[in-house]
Amino acid sequence: MKAILCLEDGKSFNAESDLEAECFGEVIINTAVVGYQEMITDPANAGKILVFTYPLIGNYGCAPKFSESTKVWVSGLVMKEKSKMYSNWQAESSLDDFLKAHKKPAIYNLDTRTLTVYLREKGPLIGIISTLEFDPQKLLDKINKFKQQPIKTKLAEVSVQKLYSLGKARGAKIAVLDLGVTSGLMRQLETLGFSLTVFPYNASAKQILGSKPKGLVLSSGPENDCGLETVAQNIKPLIGKLPLLGVATGGQVLAKALGVQLIRLKFGHRGVNYPIARPGTFKGEITVQNHAYVLDNNSLHKIKEIKVTAYNLNDHTIEEIESKKLKMIAVAYNPVSAGFNQASAILIKFSKLLGLPKGRQARR
Amino acid sequence: MPRRKDFKKVLMIGSGPIVIGQACEFDYSGSQACKALREEGYFTILVNSNPATIMTDPGMADVTYIEPLNVDILTKIIAKERPDALLPTLGGQTALNLAFFLMKQGVLKKYKVESIGASVEAIACAEDRDLFKQAMQEIGVDMPKSGIARSVKEGMKIGLEIGFPLILRPAYCLGGSGGGIAYNQEELETLLSKGIQTSPVHQVLVEQSVLGWKEIEFEVMRDCVDNVIMITSMENIDPMGVHTGDSIVVAPAQTLTLQEYTDFVYLCKKIIRKIGISGGGANIQFGQNPDNGKIVIIEVNPRLSRSSALASKATGFPIARVATKLAVGLTLPEVMNQVTGKTTSFFEPTIDYCVFKICRFTFEKFPHAERALNTSMKAVGEAMSIGRNFKEALQKGIRSLEIKRFGFGADGKDKITDAMLKNPDALLFKQIEDKIRIPNDERLFYLRYALKAGLSIDEIFALSRIDRWFLQNMKQLVELEEKIKQYRNELVDEEPKMPAELLTQAKADGFSDIQLAFLLNTKEAKVKQLRKKSSVKPAYKLVDTCAGEFNAKQPYFYSTQETKDEARPSKNKKVVILGGGPNRIGQGIEFDYCCCHAAYALKEEGVDSVMVNCNPETVSTDYDTSDRLYFEPLTFEDIMNILEVEKPLGVIVQFGGQTPINLAVALRAAGVNILGTSSENIDIAEDRKRFKQLIDKLGLLQPNSGTVFTFAEAQKVARDIGYPVLVRPSYVLGGRAMEIVYEEELLEKFIQEAAEVSGEHPILIDKFLEDAIEVDVDLIGDGETFVIGGILEHIEQAGVHSGDAAMSLPTHTLGPDILKKLREASYRLAKELNIIGLMNVQYAVKDAKVYVLEVNPRASRTVPLVSKVIGVPLAKLATKVMLGKKLKDLGFTEEVIPPYVAVKESVFPFNRFPGVDVMLGPEMKSTGEVLGIDMDFASAYIKSQIAAGQKVPKSGNVFISVHDRDKRDIAFIAKKLKDLGFNIFASSGTASVLEKNNIPAKVLPKINEGRPNILDLMKDGKIQMVINTPSGRIPRQDEVKIRSQVVLYNIPYTTTIFGAQATVNGIEMLIKKDLGVKSLQEYHKMKCKKVK
Repeated sequence: MKAILCLEDGKSFNAESDLEAECFGEVIINTAVVGYQEMITDPANAGKILVFTYPLIGNYGCAPKFSESTKVWVSGLVMKEKSKMYSNWQAESSLDDFLKAHKKPAIYNLDTRTLTVYLREKGPLIGIISTLEFDPQKLLDKINKFKQQPIKTKLAEVSVQKLYSLGKARGAKIAVLDLGVTSGLMRQLETLGFSLTVFPYNASAKQILGSKPKGLVLSSGPENDCGLETVAQNIKPLIGKLPLLGVATGGQVLAKALGVQLIRLKFGHRGVNYPIARPGTFKGEITVQNHAYVLDNNSLHKIKEIKVTAYNLNDHTIEEIESKKLKMIAVAYNPVSAGFNQASAILIKFSKLLGLPKGRQARR
Repeated sequence: MPRRKDFKKVLMIGSGPIVIGQACEFDYSGSQACKALREEGYFTILVNSNPATIMTDPGMADVTYIEPLNVDILTKIIAKERPDALLPTLGGQTALNLAFFLMKQGVLKKYKVESIGASVEAIACAEDRDLFKQAMQEIGVDMPKSGIARSVKEGMKIGLEIGFPLILRPAYCLGGSGGGIAYNQEELETLLSKGIQTSPVHQVLVEQSVLGWKEIEFEVMRDCVDNVIMITSMENIDPMGVHTGDSIVVAPAQTLTLQEYTDFVYLCKKIIRKIGISGGGANIQFGQNPDNGKIVIIEVNPRLSRSSALASKATGFPIARVATKLAVGLTLPEVMNQVTGKTTSFFEPTIDYCVFKICRFTFEKFPHAERALNTSMKAVGEAMSIGRNFKEALQKGIRSLEIKRFGFGADGKDKITDAMLKNPDALLFKQIEDKIRIPNDERLFYLRYALKAGLSIDEIFALSRIDRWFLQNMKQLVELEEKIKQYRNELVDEEPKMPAELLTQAKADGFSDIQLAFLLNTKEAKVKQLRKKSSVKPAYKLVDTCAGEFNAKQPYFYSTQETKDEARPSKNKKVVILGGGPNRIGQGIEFDYCCCHAAYALKEEGVDSVMVNCNPETVSTDYDTSDRLYFEPLTFEDIMNILEVEKPLGVIVQFGGQTPINLAVALRAAGVNILGTSSENIDIAEDRKRFKQLIDKLGLLQPNSGTVFTFAEAQKVARDIGYPVLVRPSYVLGGRAMEIVYEEELLEKFIQEAAEVSGEHPILIDKFLEDAIEVDVDLIGDGETFVIGGILEHIEQAGVHSGDAAMSLPTHTLGPDILKKLREASYRLAKELNIIGLMNVQYAVKDAKVYVLEVNPRASRTVPLVSKVIGVPLAKLATKVMLGKKLKDLGFTEEVIPPYVAVKESVFPFNRFPGVDVMLGPEMKSTGEVLGIDMDFASAYIKSQIAAGQKVPKSGNVFISVHDRDKRDIAFIAKKLKDLGFNIFASSGTASVLEKNNIPAKVLPKINEGRPNILDLMKDGKIQMVINTPSGRIPRQDEVKIRSQVVLYNIPYTTTIFGAQATVNGIEMLIKKDLGVKSLQEYHKMKCKKVK
């Protein structure tokens, strides 16, 4: 059936859909070629309308083991062509069936490239996907109504409700503050041999310290959430007391706790091909990123203990900061596994901050 | 890190002639590298034996050597130029092997030359099967079970342990030549002996077969500070078992999960680090079991490759340029991404389209060759297409191939019709199944037949092991075809009717107007009208390396069906250049050279150049060759769409070979301004009747001829003009189906063959001038002034296609009277045809008479080499002339006769087609060419032979067996060989002639009559050269066996008496003195004779 994506500035794009649907959200673009299941199940994308620039989506189907969480968090998917079949030995269902089970709409046959270029030039916009309403004015009215809804934190939804443990019982104890943690991150921490205690997003510094962890990891999750300010205040007392690692949104929270401001980019970094470089060197890494907010340089410079350890080579925004004194690292990118479940370099670096006795050092 | 300052002079080795497995992709990478080196301020020395390349243009490097590529010659060049560094990673396997052997023989050490890009250790690690296997074991990367055999016996033992089927790969061989798949002991033995022979180090890898596994490739780059990036992944549609150069390939990989992709990336990084590439790129090939995901590594190419050229063009990332910068010590973050103009090369390109690569084969040239595809590459060229989905890319890819197909079937050209497929009988089913099970060049079309005949995706997968995702996409095309067919014959006022929505969908899935016309039972033009009426037109999208994330500065374009057109036609004056499409025999790099020069000339004249081409191997499809590049098929529909957007002042059709010339009439009829010689005059030259009138009018001579449609007519014409006659179809490339017929009994067969190729056009019958000397003349004109670029004398007698013949420039046996006649005739033809641009005339000289054989009002294959020999860029001048400039103002008004001699020799793909006769004839068979330059003919000729890969002997045994009519001439040749110290072996007939002339020769028995015969001696390495001229059109079995064996054992051979003469003279020269080396720049400084 016919479908439409309408943006808050009135620009609309025709598409098709197999299911009746209506949903809202900020329209974001991801330039990765593979990983649709991981993206839509990543709590960091909660409430977004996700557009894939790669035109062929669904080719290799879906399997539960690839999900970053138990839910599909995006409010809708936008693609050029939804594959009519899937082919991979691990696949257990089609993307279609996966989305049906999670009751999430996907629209296709949309000129995703034109949409991408449009958003690149216009900056962030809210949009509506609909198969029910095509009248431009009515669609805009709906968007306005959506925008006027009281702002609620998504953290309560994406985070665990109660503390739980996993990983090797005899491993070094690490606390994870779940701001929308991905199973990919958890898997890497497990690979490193840690014993993990996962705290809900609103856990207090005292609660965390109470579990006697060797360090704390603040996970990725939805950006610019109204609940993050509180989280930052909650963990502030831990700075300098415990080795800390903030990942993506978790990193922003750490920065906030230190008093660093955040700035919104016109066009977010969302994809798997972002180069970061170490200041003063020619060495860098290609990273996976999914953020539209970056640390403000001016407010960061005021904090003496903090050093910028990596910046984005394309636009020179800050991607990684570190304080040896405070034993903390914050990264804006997503430290994904390097392959074969190997932990990413930054997690290994973090594990070295923990001051573990030799032999209990995390294994690579 | 800044570029290295510890060296100044860099030597670059090119890849030599175009052969199967090594085509113009290395001109593309080499040219980019030359530019990159000079940008960084290095003094660049280039060596390549291939004169048709852009890289050997005198302006590309500081010093350019067109010399044979072997250790001996390179040592001389190194000793003379004293480079500090050697960049061997951009000249294919040829350059890499040479670097390796230069190291082994201590040359690099002696002259203190460092191998940059890939150290010799890295080359050895990737190329030496033992070292590679060990390295992969050390990092825990699985390989198929294998062993290295140095003898047949050893290989048999390894093979039987692993079990069948087995893959055999000779070490240090390009394009998998000499390799194959063995299913049983017998095949294993044959392949082993062949492979050990083929491998320059006499090693063969005997390997567990992973037939039917997925084949996944990655292009990887690494700099000196260990930054590693993936350029793209690629997935072969043909699973393991077909050489990747023959496979249909898509980019990016379509059926990998994120986790699998990440795992592959992890392995790639591990491998490139282990191999030790620290300033360059590599192509890494994997096999993956589709049932359980198990990954094995197949091979690593520590250099630029065909795949990296494809990856470059597919993503917009200039791998060769960046690899060169990394080789001189820069890091990825320091090299700008010129396509975006904003970011650096330290990123991974991401794409928002689907890229499809499909190969061009020329089995029609080698009718006795096996059409099945295996691990030895057979394709001569390739086309790349881009679409927003797989289906569109697939259909565009097929029509880019120029095999007279206009999509995935349904174009009126299907061998098996829909009616037959509705009720297929058992026989047809079997045929379809066989064609799907055994990979071959027609498999794609048979997949469609299978789908139409009702085979399920699973059944087709079981037969072909082609991933179901690809098959399902093909099925969608078949379904859409049916949907469109519902509107067949539904004409409204004679116009086809079809809902705009369906038309848009058909276009989005890549259906061409011709396919739609066939399905709707109407004409192409009517479909075009329907499109216009329904406002269905293509949008042009960008190849920008970043999926639209940045506003690209220098992107290129592809057509698709979308809502917004991103084409950027400028307001400047502009000219569209039509390229040559995929390489094939008869049309290759020479024409790409001309197209590039057209773009350079336009730039110099301040006119925007707009290039249209679909060959990813070429320099013309480089992002910075033209102002705008459209990566599109060269069909009427696709070109017209571009012209409607760009609205150029004209189109250049002279440079892309036969492809654009064939389109000229239709374009002209559509109101397109064709630049240069008028289409009226093109028609006079191409139309037999009008051309004859012209010849008569000018009082020139032409061999007697006639045009016929039937055998009866042919019989009459042939009797009238007298045998032998030359039979040829009209409108063909590279002498397709051309034959010399000596007697009436054979005429019927050839007329039939010619009629098949000729179609509705008549067959031409010419008197064949036996033993005539053929001459090629290249000429440039501006309508007022006409200047000969070069007069090239063929070495072989008439009857050998000019694309295959060796040629000498200047001429070496023609007297002044003949030359005068040739010049006069050429100028009169040019004047009469009012040539604006280039023209090529072919003559036959016999009994002091000059006969005109053919006039081509376009750039010929010899334009690049003539330009280089005389030091005048003819194609560039021709472009300027087409824009209205005069030769007088351009300073080229007199023919240049160089004081040195250049000999062109052709290179043949016979080693790819075992058992095929190597005899030369009027049908072109060569894939590439080399040039030998020296101060005398004999030295230049022998250089050309060495450059063409002949292992010219200085002593040993020569086998001679010639046709009766050559027996007079052979006595002198044999005498000379004897005097030079060679032993002569001969067939009984030839030996008796030699004995009468007092030349002792050992008689060898006929193959079936006794042993050891010539085959045994060749096998034992006891024959160093073979001279064998064919005894007639239907060769004797003995001869064919001998001639196909020389290829197998790489024994120098000649099949013409004139070739034999020149070779023996050359050997004499070689024995007397050492060959010297001289750069093109040095030659150009010599004073030339001028002819008014």
